[in-house]
Amino acid sequence: MSRKDELLNLLKDELKGNFLAASSLEENRLFIDIKKEALVETANQLMRAGARYQMGVGYEARKNGRGLAMVHTFAFDADSLLVAIRALTTEDEPEFDSLTPFIPGAGWSEREYIDLLGLHFKNHPHPKRLVLSDDWPEGIYPLRQEVPYDLMPPAAEEVAFRLDEAPPGSSIIPFGPFHACLHEPAHFAVYVDGEEIKGCEYRGFMVHRGIEKLAATELTYNEIPFVAERICGICGSVHSVNYAQAVEAASGLKIPRRAEFIRTIMLEIERLHSHLMWLGVAGHLIGFDTVFMQAWRIREKIMWLAESLTGNRKTYGMVIIGGVRRDIDLTKAELIKKTLAEVEKDVQALEKAIIKDKSIHRRTKGVGYLSREKAKEWNLVGPVARARGLDIDARRDHPYAAYDEVKFEVVVADSGDVWGTLVVRIKEIYEAIRIIHQCLEKLASRLQGSPLAIEIEDPIPAGQQGLSVVEAPRGEAVHYVLTGDDNRPERWRVRAPTYPNLQAVPDMLLNNKLADFPIIVGSIDPCISCTDRVAVIDRRSASGRILSRQELEKLSREMRSKT
Amino acid sequence: MKVVAVFINLIYFLLLAPFLEGVMRKLTAWIQSRKGPPLYQPYLDLLKLLGKENLNSGGNWAYSLAPVLSFSSMLAAIALIPLTGQANILAHSSDLMTLIYFLTLSGFCLLVGALASGNPFAAVGASREMMTTVMLEPVLAMLLILGTVRISSFSLTAAVSGVAVSRGVSYFLMLVVYLLALQAFVARQPFDIAEAEVEILEGPYMEYSGPNYALLRYTLNLKRMFYAWLLISSFLSFILPANFFLSLLLQTVLIIVVFVLISLIGATHPRFRIDQALKYYALLLILALIAVGCAVKGW
Repeated sequence: MSRKDELLNLLKDELKGNFLAASSLEENRLFIDIKKEALVETANQLMRAGARYQMGVGYEARKNGRGLAMVHTFAFDADSLLVAIRALTTEDEPEFDSLTPFIPGAGWSEREYIDLLGLHFKNHPHPKRLVLSDDWPEGIYPLRQEVPYDLMPPAAEEVAFRLDEAPPGSSIIPFGPFHACLHEPAHFAVYVDGEEIKGCEYRGFMVHRGIEKLAATELTYNEIPFVAERICGICGSVHSVNYAQAVEAASGLKIPRRAEFIRTIMLEIERLHSHLMWLGVAGHLIGFDTVFMQAWRIREKIMWLAESLTGNRKTYGMVIIGGVRRDIDLTKAELIKKTLAEVEKDVQALEKAIIKDKSIHRRTKGVGYLSREKAKEWNLVGPVARARGLDIDARRDHPYAAYDEVKFEVVVADSGDVWGTLVVRIKEIYEAIRIIHQCLEKLASRLQGSPLAIEIEDPIPAGQQGLSVVEAPRGEAVHYVLTGDDNRPERWRVRAPTYPNLQAVPDMLLNNKLADFPIIVGSIDPCISCTDRVAVIDRRSASGRILSRQELEKLSREMRSKT
Repeated sequence: MKVVAVFINLIYFLLLAPFLEGVMRKLTAWIQSRKGPPLYQPYLDLLKLLGKENLNSGGNWAYSLAPVLSFSSMLAAIALIPLTGQANILAHSSDLMTLIYFLTLSGFCLLVGALASGNPFAAVGASREMMTTVMLEPVLAMLLILGTVRISSFSLTAAVSGVAVSRGVSYFLMLVVYLLALQAFVARQPFDIAEAEVEILEGPYMEYSGPNYALLRYTLNLKRMFYAWLLISSFLSFILPANFFLSLLLQTVLIIVVFVLISLIGATHPRFRIDQALKYYALLLILALIAVGCAVKGW
């Protein structure tokens, strides 16, 4: 009996009348509908069975007259199985039991829908505003269907985010919303005692673009891959592939093998540029600009390669539902091989310089330490988890595209600190190169001339769920799609790898030195716009005008006296 | 001649200091596979800053006055020094303590300005700078005391030239200490801890703009050049020719060589944390004390 059937039987037995239905379009996916009273019990059962919590998805299923829905997804990494449980509630009583008390990693997923859907979560330990801007009016829930995607409530003055109480005896250093060590807007209020970090509160979600709402109201199935790619300026391909896979899974489409290999190649090229970029940034964050410049010099070759393959350095625009748009022929394959050979040589030279550098050890070893247990508790993913000894990698555990046919090693370190993430990422560069070489070989030997995409003749049926994972450079990215009418999904939810990883950052920072803040935050390779993608509408200031010099001086003094 | 020497000191330092920053930037760029700015870029930067506005974000006089005081204290320190080993007119009314006093005052003014700005990052930078000063000024003092012990005179000329009078254990030990401390004296990686751009956004300099910022940058350039000059004229005083111009020329070349060294070390090291740096400084201080002890013994 497969693991899937085991779980199904277990849940049926335990839940009895609370178990409503189960569907499984694909071998490795299980979608279960339950009554909302059984939500906590089901989640508990799954966690006891060894699941890793992934994300929550809330949406308004009003089209079919069914109320508000909450989906929680879980991964069984050892069994290549993804499980989603869905519960519904009526609009009059928008309340679910919170999973956060026993799954801390669910905290944000639930807070998100307090903001966006007006849901309540009973027993949530910290139901504070997460996503919406501080002056967003109460009672308007952007993901509800009556709210238009371009609603723009008037901006309010004198509203500010209220920080939690700082621990006694500490002062606050504001890292953000703009700071040289954060490359996107995010705000960490760091509580310090002298130079030692005593705590930290995070306020993010400042770069919401309402992409998910847009997809549910304005875009069509095949427009979304191009928007999905723009969720992130670094790992865009991850999101377009992931979305396409989720739709393909929901509608039972089988895409050509050749397209799957091309998707794999593009994903690995993206990993190469992303890891090299991280390596450079990490050097910069510990004040080692030579590493920064050299890593980015090497990365530039990858960018040029991507440009010759797709026409763009980034945002490749390769993916559509049912396949890919551009081929990688033999000439291009030669170019890839040549570039990779150069890059591999350069990375080896750089690695040699870094790995034995005592002064880098001093700044990274033991810094940002998190135990394996904590990492598990926070559902960390990607190199951040692998540096803490968690042997998980979606490419191996939940094979997608052509990863079932390539051989590679999942690099794991057990130092649990920033140094571990550095080692893991460097080693993964070589693995990515290996994977691309294998893909090119297979493309050349047996897949020449086969089609790049399938023709989709029938409309995609509504009401089907699809769940897809892709191992982004930063870790596992999860996409959930619920198909809908009007040639667009009813709900599309993106969970970027930074989403779980960022929630663990305050734990990593604790009792470290202030000087280590940049590299600790940097070690998760935070991608803020990936994480912030959900909500709605940027706030336009009431009137644009330029402050005079005196006003600026006055303002900065006032701000100071407030803090 | 002795009066002119004061002006020669000032002009020499003011003209050369930005160029040395240019050397540093160019070399760092080469190591990083970049082209780098032209050697005269720092002069343009200073000129440009002079033409910009002073923002008084601190809103008090201490904040606006600090850069001028810091700059002028540095100039006062430079006016005192025996540039080619010859005492100038100020030598009658100053000794090595005066030099240390002016150098410390210059750093102290920067601290006052940083704290007066009210910026929390500047405050963190100031506290780091303060810890560094407390640990490093004694190392500098030890060097000068070493020369004083040798010649038994408190005059600055004696203190500087006395270091290399005899080249025994104390000389070499002190040379090692100075070379190890050099990067910290000039506040370059791995010891650019008080500025630490990605951590605390240039720390003490953060709130400054326009001419005030230009003065602070200039002060930093002068300070760096001073420590390079001190290395040459104390430890290598015996190779400098007696002819004023030849001596000046050779010194200039050697100072540039020192800056090449500084750039190389700077470009190949990440930044230390302040707690790591303090341990390092403590070690230097102990070694410097031992060197002076050896000098007293006549070793």
